[in-house]
Amino acid sequence: MANTETALKDAMTSIEGVIGVALVDYTSGMALGTIGGGKDLDLNVAAAGNTDVVRAKVRTMEMLGLKDEIEDILITLGTQYHLIRLLSGRGKSGLFLYLALDKNRANLAMARHQLRSIEADLEV
Amino acid sequence: MSPHVPSMLVRLAERGATGALIRDTGALYLADGAVVHAESPAAPGIDVLLTADGRLPSEQWREAMDAAGPHCRIARYLLDHGRLSGAELEIRHLSALYDAAYFVLAPDGGPSRFRHGAVHWFGRVRPVGVADVERESRRRRRYLTDLWPHAHLDAVPPVRRRHAARLPPVPRRQQDVLDLADGRHTPALIAAKLGRPAFHTLVDIRRLAASGHLETRTSPPPGPGHAEAAGPGAVAAGAPRGAAVRRLPFPFPDTAEDVDVVVLRRLRDALEAHL
Repeated sequence: MANTETALKDAMTSIEGVIGVALVDYTSGMALGTIGGGKDLDLNVAAAGNTDVVRAKVRTMEMLGLKDEIEDILITLGTQYHLIRLLSGRGKSGLFLYLALDKNRANLAMARHQLRSIEADLEV
Repeated sequence: MSPHVPSMLVRLAERGATGALIRDTGALYLADGAVVHAESPAAPGIDVLLTADGRLPSEQWREAMDAAGPHCRIARYLLDHGRLSGAELEIRHLSALYDAAYFVLAPDGGPSRFRHGAVHWFGRVRPVGVADVERESRRRRRYLTDLWPHAHLDAVPPVRRRHAARLPPVPRRQQDVLDLADGRHTPALIAAKLGRPAFHTLVDIRRLAASGHLETRTSPPPGPGHAEAAGPGAVAAGAPRGAAVRRLPFPFPDTAEDVDVVVLRRLRDALEAHL
């Protein structure tokens, strides 16, 4: 039974190459918790900005009539990966985990796998 | 934001005060100088947010209230009895706290007084710094303004727009709000009915008004729970009999009613594409 802070700390320590993690409410754009980041990556700004990414994708899917859920969204930069995982558990719809990874150090498949288990940690 | 509230809050935080900051718009509870809870008549309470979607059956909530309410330890009770996980309780509680705090710290929230020693019955979950709460409230105010700069929409019952049927469909969560926009439900009532934070409802209302699904030109209600007809497109239902129609000062002439929303949306998209 993790609280949000320990779940985010787990993400920070167990996933290789993590720069920062945030748990974000995507209607308000507020980060309910952040860890890591720093002056090069303001996680509160990233949280608010990425709500637009999620909303655009949700909207596109609705326009296409795709009856499916978004599991995660990957954005690949020159030197970083940004991974957005939408939480689907009870009472957590409307939240996503946002993960910034160093591209040189990260293993993307492992990171996605571990993010899934961190989501499970946030469950009952 | 009122110039008095932040400085008063900062002083209380520096002194490590415990008690409740009370304004017309609600109350902010401090423990040892940190914010531990907030409540406002404009926002659904933690009880509504926990029970609305059936996440916590109302009998379990009542049981927790009866057993732990008098000792102000409901949060602890819910955790100890495995009703919610630590993470979920925190998420829902923070969501309720920031939601109510937004209204408590409203610029027109009236005078503030502090009741030393007051403790909220829910009990402590995760205290938040005064500066964080203030910063987030300011960010939220800016966020709403950026979405659609018509602050009066936060208080009046939203009214559907006449020609909205021609517009593209809206996302599910916004549709829930639109379904309750009957000119009688205030944003606070809609939030309570849907069991969602009030700020989320304000965001949806601003988005719906910006996209042309809701009237922007609505007049302020004469009293709680009433709506008045404003433009030719407004719905008159709910307006009290015999009440004079008051109009908000509005910067546009009456032709605003005929503006083609689709053209405006395309114009906005084109402008955004050049940012």
